[in-house]
Amino acid sequence: MPEPQIAHGWLLLGAMLACAAGMAWLALAMDVHARQVWGRGLAPAMAKGLRVLGALALAAGLWLCLLADHPTMAVLVWVMALAVGALAVALLLAWRARWLRALAPWVRRAA
Amino acid sequence: MFHSFRQAMAWLHTWFGLVLGFVLMAAFFFGALSVFDREIDRWAIPATRFEPQPMPSFEKVLRPAFERLQPPPEMVEAMRPRVDGPMPERFDRIAYWSAYTTHRDPVLAIYAGWEVPGARNPDEQLYAVGTIDPRDGTPLPDDRLKIGSGFFFPLHYGLTLDWKNLGIWIVGFSALVMLAALVSGVVMHRKLFRELFTFRPGKARLRSALDLHNLTGVVALPFHFFFAFTGLVIFSATYYFPLGHTQLHELHELHEQHEAAALGLPHGRSGVPAGLANVDAMVGEAQRRWEARGMAGDVGFLVLQHVGDANGYVSVYRAGTDRIALVGQGIHFKADTGALLREDPPATPVARVAEFLTGLHLQHFRHWLLRWLYVFGGLMGAVCIATGFVFFVEKRKRQHARVGSQGVRIVDALAVTTVTGMVLAALGILVANRLLPEALPGRGDWERFAFWGTWALALVHAGWRSAPVARGLPNPAWREQCWAIAVLALAAAVLNWITTGDHLLRTLAAGYWPVAGLDLALLAVAAIAAAAGHRLGRRAEAAARIGAHGGEAAHA
Repeated sequence: MPEPQIAHGWLLLGAMLACAAGMAWLALAMDVHARQVWGRGLAPAMAKGLRVLGALALAAGLWLCLLADHPTMAVLVWVMALAVGALAVALLLAWRARWLRALAPWVRRAA
Repeated sequence: MFHSFRQAMAWLHTWFGLVLGFVLMAAFFFGALSVFDREIDRWAIPATRFEPQPMPSFEKVLRPAFERLQPPPEMVEAMRPRVDGPMPERFDRIAYWSAYTTHRDPVLAIYAGWEVPGARNPDEQLYAVGTIDPRDGTPLPDDRLKIGSGFFFPLHYGLTLDWKNLGIWIVGFSALVMLAALVSGVVMHRKLFRELFTFRPGKARLRSALDLHNLTGVVALPFHFFFAFTGLVIFSATYYFPLGHTQLHELHELHEQHEAAALGLPHGRSGVPAGLANVDAMVGEAQRRWEARGMAGDVGFLVLQHVGDANGYVSVYRAGTDRIALVGQGIHFKADTGALLREDPPATPVARVAEFLTGLHLQHFRHWLLRWLYVFGGLMGAVCIATGFVFFVEKRKRQHARVGSQGVRIVDALAVTTVTGMVLAALGILVANRLLPEALPGRGDWERFAFWGTWALALVHAGWRSAPVARGLPNPAWREQCWAIAVLALAAAVLNWITTGDHLLRTLAAGYWPVAGLDLALLAVAAIAAAAGHRLGRRAEAAARIGAHGGEAAHA
């Protein structure tokens, strides 16, 4: 496989992961999902921090998409990556909520 | 009638969603399959399982292939009554020769059209379509059903109801209703963002079905909206408002002449015979010009107008593999001299938006991740509609059972038919494709019968097993058809191995993804369907235990 195609693949993988992580941080910033993951709500400052982190990750995802493809294609990939990310987060929250702790190891569990 | 706007929206969403949901389900499911239509064609026609080819040389490959083409005899016969004088033995007044390819096509489709001397309507032409091997120009049999691009794709946009384009009108109306359903769904959904990530599979069926309905509807909302909308955009120009060809015919003709004059391209034949310069040289020149514009690319579409006439010209269009817009950047040459006639200027902003919208839907780009993401979006739509049906039935089941209504029983049976039955039908045609004898006359028709026959059986089965729904219980057809899907999907993959020798180890080792991908998808479908069938079975057993227990308690 030629070099550019591999780089293209890595950029897209990065974009997908950034979008999924961004969606996960946005979800963790919500009280109901924080309770699912850590068994307790978060302090408002912490929730805000996660929300900012999530937004930045989504923006990073868009940036990676734009690096990988022509802008017309990049926006479509990004919008669809957001959808996949959101669905993955929803399914993880339903069945394996604790796995999401790995995305915010600095948050302490409920005693 | 309605106390609030929200209630009115709920009524619209429920009833329009129910009635047209059946059509939309087909549009979504076969749309998702059409994303890989050409790959499904390779699976279905083993003789064409080789690598995609670029547009071949005109002088070496295309010209002899075009020269062999003549309109099919039955078409010539059909036109005879509308022509003054005899039909020629050989048609040589060539209106156009064209060839079209994409980065996913190993075989090349070629098209030719002829003007007919003495035709009462001079616009009526005869045409022919051929398929060739672009490596050497060998004509390939054209009678094999291309299950992907020739069956699933037409099902997606027109349900294969060709009569007066009825299917296209139904699908288009459904797309319009879908836009309304999306808007009304958003209005009904009180907590769009607050419940964006909410799915509670452990809760009662009514709640978890609604969660899944909302989840699949909302996360893929941009996809649903844009595909319904762009589908309508594509249809509206061609089918719904073809003003240029109906009411405004004279004006349209005049406009074409003016346009041709403005562009410097001849409009009709001159009647003066002329030769044809080297077309490969023109293609080379077009590619040089694209490169000079910073967009080097392959040829996607090659058209020769009025071949053999002094007004003839050659148009070379670039394949749109690296962006969303379809083929474009046309460069036109005078056919007899090869002189440059015109280079299409960059599109206007409005035209670029239109190109983006149609290209977004028709997806001729080279981007495998985005293709899979589109499949994902289509399947999200299908799940959204399926859970909508389940919610409709669950919500009314007990109440209908109390009053002895058969309403939800019918809806549930139809839901089984459109959800699992549609998958069964798609698998039925694939299995038939591998089982029918290669030389069977009208093989494609038998494949279609297998599709509709499987679907009809699924409907009969769903109706026959639906009695429990009227008592407020689930229809065992859901579970049984899940198992049938698992069996048929596995059978299709195994039959592909037996009849062609292309098993997964071989196709994966060779990196031949069109066939490997479809086989892997079949195995995944089989696994998911078996898991679903298993779960539904366990749930039915648990329900039966509780039912038996409850029954005993009642007797005691």
